[in-house]
This record gives sequence, C-alpha cells and structure tokens, in this order.
Amino acid sequence: MTRLKFGRAIARGALVSALATSMMATTVLAEPPVDLSKWSPEYVRSIAGTEEFDTAQECSQVTPLDYSGHLTFWYQGVFEGDPDLLRQYYKDFFEAFRKTYPNIQLEEQALTYNDLLDKFRTALLGNAGPMVVRLQILGGVEFASKGYLEELKPEDVGWSTEDFWPGAMKSVTWEGKTYGVPTNNETMALIWNADIFKRAGLDPDKAPATWDDVVTYSKQIHDKVGVAGYGLVARKNAGNTPYRFMPQLWGYGGGVFDEADASPTYGEVRLNSEASKRALQASYDMYVRDKSVPVSALTNQQADNQPLFLAGQLGMMISHPSDYNVMLDLQKKATGDDQAKAQTVIDNMRYGLIPTGPDGRRAVVFGGSNMHILKPEYVEGGKVDEAAARAIICFWTSPEWSLKMAYAGSNPGNLNGFKTKWMKERLDNIKFLDVTTSMLPYGVPFPALPETPEIMNIIVPDMLQNALTGAMTVDQAADDAAEKVKALTDGGGL
Amino acid sequence: MTIVTGHPGAPGKIRAARPGILRQMWMSRADYLYVLPAIVVMLIVIAYPIYYTIDLSFFKTPPGLQLRDKIFIGIDNYTAILTSEVFWRVTLNTVIWTLASTVIAFVLGYGAALALHRDFIGRGVLRAILIIPWVISAVAASYIWKWIYHSDFGIIGAVLVQLGIVDRPPNFIDSVSTVLPSLIVVNIWREFPFAMIMLMAGLQTVPEQLLRAAKVDGASAWQRFWHVTFPYLSGVSTVTILLLAVANFNSFIIPWIMTGGGPSNASHIWITHIYELAFGRQRWGVAAAYSVLLFVILMTLGYFYVRALSGNEKKEGTS
Repeated sequence: MTRLKFGRAIARGALVSALATSMMATTVLAEPPVDLSKWSPEYVRSIAGTEEFDTAQECSQVTPLDYSGHLTFWYQGVFEGDPDLLRQYYKDFFEAFRKTYPNIQLEEQALTYNDLLDKFRTALLGNAGPMVVRLQILGGVEFASKGYLEELKPEDVGWSTEDFWPGAMKSVTWEGKTYGVPTNNETMALIWNADIFKRAGLDPDKAPATWDDVVTYSKQIHDKVGVAGYGLVARKNAGNTPYRFMPQLWGYGGGVFDEADASPTYGEVRLNSEASKRALQASYDMYVRDKSVPVSALTNQQADNQPLFLAGQLGMMISHPSDYNVMLDLQKKATGDDQAKAQTVIDNMRYGLIPTGPDGRRAVVFGGSNMHILKPEYVEGGKVDEAAARAIICFWTSPEWSLKMAYAGSNPGNLNGFKTKWMKERLDNIKFLDVTTSMLPYGVPFPALPETPEIMNIIVPDMLQNALTGAMTVDQAADDAAEKVKALTDGGGL
Repeated sequence: MTIVTGHPGAPGKIRAARPGILRQMWMSRADYLYVLPAIVVMLIVIAYPIYYTIDLSFFKTPPGLQLRDKIFIGIDNYTAILTSEVFWRVTLNTVIWTLASTVIAFVLGYGAALALHRDFIGRGVLRAILIIPWVISAVAASYIWKWIYHSDFGIIGAVLVQLGIVDRPPNFIDSVSTVLPSLIVVNIWREFPFAMIMLMAGLQTVPEQLLRAAKVDGASAWQRFWHVTFPYLSGVSTVTILLLAVANFNSFIIPWIMTGGGPSNASHIWITHIYELAFGRQRWGVAAAYSVLLFVILMTLGYFYVRALSGNEKKEGTS
C-alpha cells in the first residue's frame, strides 16, 4: 500500500521542512496557526478537528449580517474533470452565503479554468468586470500590475496574513503590495495503476522514484502491457500542461527563470539550461523515442486522461487527490462489464509523491486560486460594493469554506482549515488526501510576473510541441522558448 | 443627376449644370433623414471598430500595462508580422485551408446538386441527410470529429486496426503533417451542403425547354451540361465560391476546438492566430495589425463578390 512508502518521505522530514521553510518564506513568518516546519501526513492528522470556527460570527465582524447590498462575482468554477462532490459543495456555499447575508443580492457567474482569463481580460477592456473575481493563482499578478485590482490583504476580510501559505501570499503580491486573498492551495501527486505495474513486471506498490524512472517504467508498461505508460499532457492554452511539465522541469534542476530557488529574482532565463533540456529530453524520449505515452497528448488535456486511466489504458499520471472521486463518479456512469473493469482499476489506484530529478530534487506546482476586488472604474456600473465584496471573500476564505470548497481536489487556503472537523472528516473519506497534502511543502509558485500566463499557457506548451512533433530538435525547442521568454520580458517579441 | 428639359425626343435638348454634392444631398434631405438611423448604427458598429483597430495596430500593448497605456510604435507591428516566420507559416496554412476547403466543397456540392436535381425515389430523404452537416452546430461537430480522429482511441483508427489494415491508429491531428488535411476534411464535410443548396436553387433556373431542345438536337448528357447547365450556373457558382472563400478565410470554430492551432502551429490559420495573439497573449496591437491585413484581403474578396452579384443582376436584366 502506498502509505507505507511514506515512511521514507517522513524520515526525510527534517530535510523537507528546511526546504519548505526556505521555499515558502516570503516576508516574515510571524506565527502561523499551524507549524509549517512539522508538516507531514501525521502532523496534518494530528491537528485535524482540534478547533471550531463559526463562519457567520467571524464574517459579521467584517460586514454585518444584516447588510443590504449588491454584488457581482465571477469565479473559476467546477468543470468536467471535477467530482460531483465538489459540485455539491459549490451549490452549498452559495446557499449558505445567501442564508447568512440574506440582503446581499449576489450575481455569480462560474467560468472554466481555460475560459476565465480570456473573458475577464476582455471584460476589463470594456470596463465591464465583476466587483469580485476568483482567479487561478497565475492570473493575479497580471491584473495587479495593470492596476485593475484594489489592494486587499487577509486582514481586510478578518484574517491574518499568517493564516495563509507564504507561497500563496507571494502569488497575490506585486511590488510589495497585496492584492488578494488565497482561497485554496493544491499540489498534485503521482497516481498509478498497481495492476498494470504488476503485469509490466514492476513492483505494484512502488512509485517511480525519479523522472528517469518514469521514462523507464512508461516504456516497460507500453512494451509489456501494450497500454500507454505515462499520461503526458502537452496541449496549448490548457492549464494542465504546465501543472504536469513544470514539476518535471524543476525536478531536473531547470526552470523558466529561477522560480524554484529560495529567493527568486526572475532575472535569468533558464529554459535552455542543460537541466531544462534534460527535462524536455525525458518527454521527447517517452513520446517520440519510446512511443510509450498517448499520441493524443498534444491535443488532449487531463480530463481526457481520466477515462483512459479508468479504462485501464494508462499506467501513470499526475493529478489531484480528487481523481479518486472522479474515478468513482465515472465508474457509476459505466454499465455492464465496463463497471466491473472500472472498479478493478479503482481498487488498483495508488498515489505517491511526485518523482525527483536525478539530484533528488522534488517539486510540484503550488497551485490554487485567489480572490480579488476590482477598482470601481473597471466594474460594470462603475461601483463596487466594498462591504458585500469583503463579506463574500471572508466567507469563502474562512477556515470552514476554504476547506469545504477544496474538499476533494485541493487544500484550504486558510491554514486554520486544517484544524477543522471537516478536515478530519475528509482525511477519513478522501482516499490518498494525505499524499497530496504531503506534497505541499514541495510546492513551487509560478513566477509572480504579469507575463507568466503567456509563458505557462503558450510558450512552454509550444516548446513541448515543437520538440515532440519533430518541428525542432530538443535543443532548438528549448533555445526557441528561452528566446521567446526573454523577448517577452524585455517587452518585445511576437 | 442629369436633368433633361423638354421632350426627350425633341431636338436641341438642353443639359442643365450638375449641382454640387452638398446641394444634391440637400435636395434629397428627406431620403437621408430616413436612412440616418441606419447610418449612425453602421458608424458605431462598423466604422468605429475599423478605425479603432487600425489605430491600435500602431501601438504596443505589453502584458504589464493596461490598453489605455499603450505605446505608439508606428509601423513596427506590421514590420514584425511580415518578417516573422510564424506569419508566413500561418499564411500558407490559411491559403491551403481556404483554397482546398472552397474548391473541394464546391465540387462536391456541385456533384450532389446535379445528382439530386434528378427525380428518383428517396430524393427528399437523401437531400435532408446531406444537409445535416451544415445545420448541426459547428462546435458539436468539432468535438465529435475530435473523437473520430482521436490518435489513440478514435473510431477511424479502431476500425482500421480491427480490419488489420494498420497496426497502430493513424495519427490524424497530433502530427504536423496530417493535422491540416484532417481539419480540411471536416470543414469540407460541414460546407459542401451549403454549395449543394445554392447550386440546387441555381439549377431551378436552367430552362427545361433548352435542355429538351438540346437533347432533340442530339446533344449528349455531357454536352447538355457543358453548353447549357454550366453557363446558366456560372453566376450562382461565382457567388457560392466567393461566399465559401470568405467563410473559410474567417473559419475559427473547427481548428480552434479541435487543435487550438497546434501541434506546433501546424493548424493555425489567420483567425485562430489573431485570437491567440489578442486573447491568449494580450498582443492587442499585433493582433490589430493582423486584423487590418485580413480586412484588406477580405475587402478585396468582397469587391469581387459585389461585382459578381451586379454582373448577375445585369445578366438577368438583359435576358
């Protein structure tokens, strides 16, 4: 069983803690509600259910519960790859908010991850944005740097900066000022099918330790079992691609800049470093040399890998803890023999830490979302109902709702969420949650630059596609991408 | 306007001096008042966006700045576009996409129209079936075709593997060499019913007695088609081809949904590239310059379309 393998990870606790502390340190680590230096599956279990929170009472200190107002709100909502459980929590949230603040007229609009940035940018050009927006973690700095967002820190909505992951606060900080409050933070893990591993002659309960092992395992699975070994994703304009490639890039010691270093300056482009090229070469080896990954990786996203995995056609993939619940949902929809086959796959699902690079470096994207308030001049109608805006941000980022809204797929942005009874409940109910939670200290935030969305959504996937289609060699693709990043950050380029 | 005084047939007719344009407008002021609301609407929704796009094409819009803080750079965007390798690649893709889609859809539509013009049992049903690709949503069609083409589990690949024709499913949309032809097939499938409908309408105008007379004179089926039907359809054919060409030049849904312009830009055509530049990369200035170039090309096509239409009207007027 996977959990046994964490003994090794826990044994390295001291090292991890040191790394985590250095990686996540931003301003001054005052006194967070949890001890980040002790972070481990056991520690997370030990604090779960130790404290009670009353959301309505806490938020009433920010905005009185009888406040009467109007609020427009856009958010990155659930999409086809999310489990039904999450859909229910989203529904519950809006019901609870309306019940708590019955006099706030809320107009909310859900958008998918891939559509939100485009629509939000377009709306802002016409000064037709919402009053409050919940954006993916890589979006905030772009809009803060352009001056669209109001300054907003956790203290403005009843919380303290120390209540949130330092890495998450970095993603809402631009030129020393804070422009948002994190709602949830996530790190992914490696998921594999133990049965496929067994049939391929691999240890069914042992995850590949390094990225080089992933390449080897993927080939072995493909050659011996005849299914795709690893769920590579290289589609352009899809958030899934950087979330899966960047851990590999950082693991090998590469990066777009120095974002994986303790104190990044983003001054030097490293996409064409030898380490970055080794990471790209690993993808090339799987896709071109060994043909051990889905051919459709260039046009597919992770939502396409999930049914493949459930059908027993995929050996390994990187994904959220929510994938276990997604598989359960998909399995319920299957019929006849397919349902039994799907159950077999679910029984054989294993979660492990994301592999390391050759030098033992383990990294994962520190993902999540943040909430922001817009300046009135960019909002439809030219007014922002500040009190209503703060009320919904307080509500969503509360220990209770920041946990519930991340129940199956992520982690609470508010660290107090880990202490709630719901955290204890989800540790018992959501299988493998402790694995993805254990990955949090390895999280590397995306570069806090306005150019990051283009780098992650366009340039990095383009680099992968150029190498994997043979349009360029690995070296050329890496050099080309590095040139594009440099041109972009210098203010030029096409 | 020419004013003729006296009896038209009378000798010594006198031509009055042509009044100035402002005077002419003043004389027809009531007419202008009637169309004023339409003119105002057109100025707002057509003229201003065109002006704004042209204006924007001379500015740089870095991702860290708002659009209102754009930086004037003269014709640098145009220079950058025309000297960029991607531009020429995307242009070549666009030309291939537009030409192949237009010509093949037209030829197939022509054939289908001729076949369906004859009377046979089930003609109505067949006509309804052939129109389906054109009436269903392009978005839905794109997703369906994406699964048909899927490089690992697509229907075509599965059938070919089952029949033992290939060992591995063919790579349709994940290869730089096959992606564009694969998308063109989908586009043709979507568009040939349009050509078919246009030409079926045109076929109704071919005089039956002329075809019968030609038959009596011993003309073969080919000769009847070539010397009677084809010339009669030349007007509607020109219009159909131009409409198809403009629609194909502006195609967005199929390539965007199926491949997003990838892999490696191999299926990017102008519209998808402009969309990506503007909304994915916020290069509003560059995207505007691209749009201006596209506008010029489409206006040229539009000119020929209008000429073709007025040519048809002339023919109809004289016949």
